[in-house]
Amino acid sequence: MSHIDLRHITKRFGSFTAIENVDFRAEKGRIHALVGENGAGKTTLMRVLFGALQPDEGEVHIGSEAVRLQSSSDAIARGIGMVNQHDSVIPALPAWRNLILGAEDGPWLNQAAVIERAEALAKPLGFEFDWTAPAATMSPGATQKLEILKLLWRNAETMILDEPTAMLSPADAEGLYGTLRQLAEGGKTIIVVTHRLPEVLEGCDEVTVLRGGKLIESRPVAGLTAPQLAEAIVGRSVEAPELTPPNLGEENLVVENLTLGHSLRDVSFSLRAGELVGLAGVDGNGQRELLRSIMGVLRPDRGTIRLQGLNVTKASTRARLGAGLRLIAEDRYQEAMIASWPLVENAALGQHLRPPFARNGRRDLAATRVAAQAMAERFRTKFVSLDQPIGGLSGGNQQRFIAGRALADGGGVVLAFQPARGLDLAGIDDVYGALRAHTRAGGCALVVSFDLDELLAHCDRIITISHGELRVPAPEQARDREAIGRMMLGEEA
Amino acid sequence: MSGRARVALVLVVVALALGPLFLTPVPPSEWVPELWGSSFGEPRGWALTLRELTPLLIGGVAVWLALRAGLFNIGAEGQMLVGACATGAVALAPAFPGQLVIAIAAGVLAGALWALPAGALRTFRGGHEVISCIMLNQLAFLLTGWLVKGPMKDPNAGGATTKMLDESLRWAPIAKFGRAELDWALPLGLALMVGLWYWRKHRVGGYELEAVGTNATAARFAGIPAEMVQFRAFAMSGGLAGLAGALLVVADQNRFYDGMTSGKGFDSLGVALLAGANPLALAPSALLFAALNAATTGMNQIGIPKGLSGLMLGGLILLFASASQRKDNAHE
Repeated sequence: MSHIDLRHITKRFGSFTAIENVDFRAEKGRIHALVGENGAGKTTLMRVLFGALQPDEGEVHIGSEAVRLQSSSDAIARGIGMVNQHDSVIPALPAWRNLILGAEDGPWLNQAAVIERAEALAKPLGFEFDWTAPAATMSPGATQKLEILKLLWRNAETMILDEPTAMLSPADAEGLYGTLRQLAEGGKTIIVVTHRLPEVLEGCDEVTVLRGGKLIESRPVAGLTAPQLAEAIVGRSVEAPELTPPNLGEENLVVENLTLGHSLRDVSFSLRAGELVGLAGVDGNGQRELLRSIMGVLRPDRGTIRLQGLNVTKASTRARLGAGLRLIAEDRYQEAMIASWPLVENAALGQHLRPPFARNGRRDLAATRVAAQAMAERFRTKFVSLDQPIGGLSGGNQQRFIAGRALADGGGVVLAFQPARGLDLAGIDDVYGALRAHTRAGGCALVVSFDLDELLAHCDRIITISHGELRVPAPEQARDREAIGRMMLGEEA
Repeated sequence: MSGRARVALVLVVVALALGPLFLTPVPPSEWVPELWGSSFGEPRGWALTLRELTPLLIGGVAVWLALRAGLFNIGAEGQMLVGACATGAVALAPAFPGQLVIAIAAGVLAGALWALPAGALRTFRGGHEVISCIMLNQLAFLLTGWLVKGPMKDPNAGGATTKMLDESLRWAPIAKFGRAELDWALPLGLALMVGLWYWRKHRVGGYELEAVGTNATAARFAGIPAEMVQFRAFAMSGGLAGLAGALLVVADQNRFYDGMTSGKGFDSLGVALLAGANPLALAPSALLFAALNAATTGMNQIGIPKGLSGLMLGGLILLFASASQRKDNAHE
């Protein structure tokens, strides 16, 4: 008898069926992976288990008892806990208060008692925390550990983790799976929702594949290969992209001795026409500051930036965009788009001064529509109308549109911050494929990602950043996953 | 919200708005006709409403412009007042060629200058414009009050007022319907509004203004100098408020007196907020405020205190605002 047993679950949103007749089982003591593309229904299924959504059909059994979960509190009361994709810690609060947030046992907080029990939970797992330091000072890895402790604090027997390694370095990700294994051996039921296939194959016991809201298969991981799993997810065979050597040209972007507070220390590198370069690093090591400095949104303390041969160190963002710089921004909602605006208005953003969007200060609305249509179609954005607010699209579709905009006119230098964030396998292939096509046509691109495997699979070469210091792997280590992983942590390769 | 709950809510607001009027000694048989008569009744009502309309429309245009850039120009009252005062000062100076045009330009400039400190503090130092505007309003009240009680005072008048402008410096009405007068100020206001609509839809400047007002960070990443756009919009907003004050002097009152804007700048905030995203909605919005203001004036004359009819005005505005808000939500 499985500890978690979801039977024939169907969930509809209006006329759209998110999941249809899906069965899902998870045993105590096992790590269960749930995989599938964007929109396959993974998150919907987990939200049903977590009580956040009520299924239209089907039954939920927990510990061989049929239950009706009306809300997340019902699920928590039955020992189910969920860690969301985006961390839910409040940066200004100390770790101990984040730990008990929402699970306080009364109006009075007893710091000493909380920390005592927290230590008792953390110790067996080998976690160490400075409980009184603000959560803002914690590393992504420590934050993820705190999220797990939050579930233990709430006496969770079943733990659901949605993309837990998205922000972690390879070493931290391995550490996380070590912890999960320990918890499973202690009798917990672990469910991991993930896009990363190596994690499934190395870290999990069972795997369930969803595609288009339907159950494709549910089986033990043992004996499964990566291509088989990828094929099950996508529904067709997937081949690793073939990396043809780049045809190098001029240095299109040259950064020299860029320094900005403690975020960037003497950063120097260059991009040549024709190459796709990956910038590997753990989140928060200066990637953000580097891209913003190149864009001209942040002013570095020292150093020079040359774009297509022009010194743009002191130039405005507008001038840099005019010189052929393009950005796929990190934060879609804040930086890349105006969520309440329709797609057609977002299409012009950044290039709105220039043809085809405007001439002599007068906007060309007809040409803007044509361009917007092309941007949307470039990566098969799913949308109803160009006049619908872009904020209403799913995250993956927003990202497709924004990537389409950045690559629309074959501009020279593309900076991409996690361009595949929120995309499924097909979307990732689309975007990296387009970045490659862009570089092969004579442009160049710098891609920031926290996923080293993604960069290794698609980029011509990889540079690393750690604590604001940029390092280039030695030629013999250029594709050495372990060595680059150590450099990401600032250790010797 | 269910249909029935919605109807109940509307009834509650109407009851709250109109209820107090039944508590006054004036019987409904008198104030109900007055309510209509003093806002849209022929000919007195239209005269009152039209006089109120122009400054509210131009003031509304001014506030709306700042609002779309993400700034709340609560200083429109003070800018209007210094604009009126500056226009009065130039128009009352010894005659010189082009005096009328220069007088109006002085009003626009004064309004813009009065907005400048608040705009600069906000865009370059992050000081909140609402706080600095409220302080600038006080300065405007005190400065213009001192001027019109001292250097600019008409020595023959009892109150704090200037002399009347020379006939040649007054804008003659273009049409008269009974006591209702239509002057060039209203068509000018409408032209400004339509111009703003065109600018926003078809000019890159209007696009950038909207971008900055909706998401300044995304605008910066798109190469739009967000601070500069906001600063310019705020100065223009002040200039337009100054224009509303200037026209109050040359087209309506033909003199400057202490506190002559009497809250029209504050009402302009309501006009702009009620209009929402569409500048063409400024005209009906200003008309609503003008008619309600005219109605409170008329009802004051038959013995219903302004405070009470003001309460009604507030209730009605709430009703209109929630109706227009509901439509906005339906779009999203």
